[in-house]
Amino acid sequence: MRRRTVWLLSICFCAVRLCLQAQDFKLFDRQVQLHGFASQGFIYTNDNNWLTMKTADGSAAFTDFGANVSMQVTEGLRIGAQVYDRNLGNLGEWHPSLDWAFADYRFKPWFGIRGGKVKTVIGLYNDTQDYEFLITSALLPQSVYPLDMRDANIAHEGGDLYGDVPLGRRAGNVSYTVYGGERRDSYYGGYPYALRETVAPINLTSNGGPQYGADLRWQTPLRGLLVGISRMNQHDDGKGTFVPFWNPAAGTIPYREYTRHYWLNQYYGQYGKGRLRLDSEYRRTYIYVVDFNGTSTGQADVRGWYVSGSYRVAKRLHLGSYYSHYAMTTHYGGILGMAFPPRVDTSLPENHIYDKVVSARIDLNRFWNVKLEGHFMNGYGDGPYPDGFYPGDNPAGFKPNTNALVVRTGLNF
Amino acid sequence: MKNQRSLPLVAAVVMFGSIHAMAGNVKIIANPSVKIESISVSEIKSVFLEERNSLHDGTRVEPVLSKGGPAHESFLKEYLDKNNDALQDYYRTLVFTGKGLMPKALRSDEEVAAYVAKTRGAIGYVSSTAPVDGVKTLTVYQFASDGARKLISRVEPAYPMILLSNHIGGTVRVKVTIASNGTVEDVELIGGNPILAEAAMAAVKKWVYAAGRSRTQAEISIPFDASR
Repeated sequence: MRRRTVWLLSICFCAVRLCLQAQDFKLFDRQVQLHGFASQGFIYTNDNNWLTMKTADGSAAFTDFGANVSMQVTEGLRIGAQVYDRNLGNLGEWHPSLDWAFADYRFKPWFGIRGGKVKTVIGLYNDTQDYEFLITSALLPQSVYPLDMRDANIAHEGGDLYGDVPLGRRAGNVSYTVYGGERRDSYYGGYPYALRETVAPINLTSNGGPQYGADLRWQTPLRGLLVGISRMNQHDDGKGTFVPFWNPAAGTIPYREYTRHYWLNQYYGQYGKGRLRLDSEYRRTYIYVVDFNGTSTGQADVRGWYVSGSYRVAKRLHLGSYYSHYAMTTHYGGILGMAFPPRVDTSLPENHIYDKVVSARIDLNRFWNVKLEGHFMNGYGDGPYPDGFYPGDNPAGFKPNTNALVVRTGLNF
Repeated sequence: MKNQRSLPLVAAVVMFGSIHAMAGNVKIIANPSVKIESISVSEIKSVFLEERNSLHDGTRVEPVLSKGGPAHESFLKEYLDKNNDALQDYYRTLVFTGKGLMPKALRSDEEVAAYVAKTRGAIGYVSSTAPVDGVKTLTVYQFASDGARKLISRVEPAYPMILLSNHIGGTVRVKVTIASNGTVEDVELIGGNPILAEAAMAAVKKWVYAAGRSRTQAEISIPFDASR
């Protein structure tokens, strides 16, 4: 057994070494690069199960990995693709997806175009939220970047126009991205899972639609200070099956829902000086959905913000902390409106999650880190849109407070 | 006798030169295939941040970095406004969102210089005192106002023989005031070896820029490469 483990570790070590060495090569006299990453986490919570895992017992069902290949084809043209896979409790379930795949042509520094499946630029971290190695914390603030809702905004099939415009020495630099396309929920994502876990389960087999928006960020003349604003609009049309809770005798019938309004505004700032990094973001998402085959409506107004700081106290040690604030109000109409009253009091634990977090990150080397993190949460926000806590994962009901220990390790090359 | 007399001067210059190196100045080097002789600070920044992969004259370039050391730290501070952690995160963001490639990073000035010398379009940086062969050293300028002016006529500074024979190099930084008709009105020393500065300022006074609507100012770094 011991011998087998040693063999396995040796093979892993050799594979990593090979990957590290083979990341840059030439093909048809063109530069090609291979890169990849992987992370493994463990979460233990004192009370509520969190993020679709059985965390109250301690869960290591928190794995993700990805690999990409990129090639500079001509002076301006670059192509590439990345595959991503994850298993997060009941989400992902090891179903790989094409994370991004596009061709990118930069005509000028101030104007480029990319088309294909493209990561959606929203705020500081939407397009990089899977890459834990870019941040000190093990988890991004869940009020703005919920792990379970990753699929909602992560990428679109379409195109971006982008560029960087220098404003002169005294005015800094502006970067813009304008995008449009179509986005789809994975069946193994948080939203379809949430619908399957409700008291009136819905099997949502497809959900998606047009997504468009823009991001504008200003690298200010004050060295290290970045501020920005993002706007995203999307229209979803979801189909599946369900048993009408008002008429179970009808059996399983087709289900449809669609959004009348779905938009997101995000404002953000980042300041870095030496070993210090400070981030802050505010995101508001408003969703108005017509559901249950047109018999009901639901409105959700989700507001999340956070303030975070991290400091590299030694060459290989970073310490960080953040406060993440999530609050949601909901209104229902039609049949749902008769069954569920509006939820507008955000001081109730069912409508908010206030999360105080402390983190430590140790860089074992340039490619490998280990993180330890403590979360001290008040509220569980079990509204109609996923936010980490699901009634189906907590059949005995919710406790108002949750403390969590997160251990995560990640590799990248 | 002449050499003996110059020894104290050389010693002073050597001392000044070492202080200068400690201050962390770098020189920008390029493969001889790169046609330009001078480059702006903002152009260097946009090349190394992969916002552009060609220079203003259309030459395709490939940025080459150092993995660490004083030259690398100086370069980050003077040209990129980022520390090394922030720069590595920036490149990883590009790589993992498909928006760029990881640039080549080498261990030492010698490796950077050797790679730049053999790679068409390569552009890199080494410490200002590092010997470099087979590459060209670019003059770096930065306009104080937004109106960049094209350099039409350039006079190369005469390398003081006493320093050249003692293999003493460095970079001189000056601020020039350019009249609207394109002539250089004034040259002010910002930093550098005083003997090299005298030669650099004398040459820059003879430079001619394209005419502009008004008087403009620019900061220029002029490298003196003792290994040439």
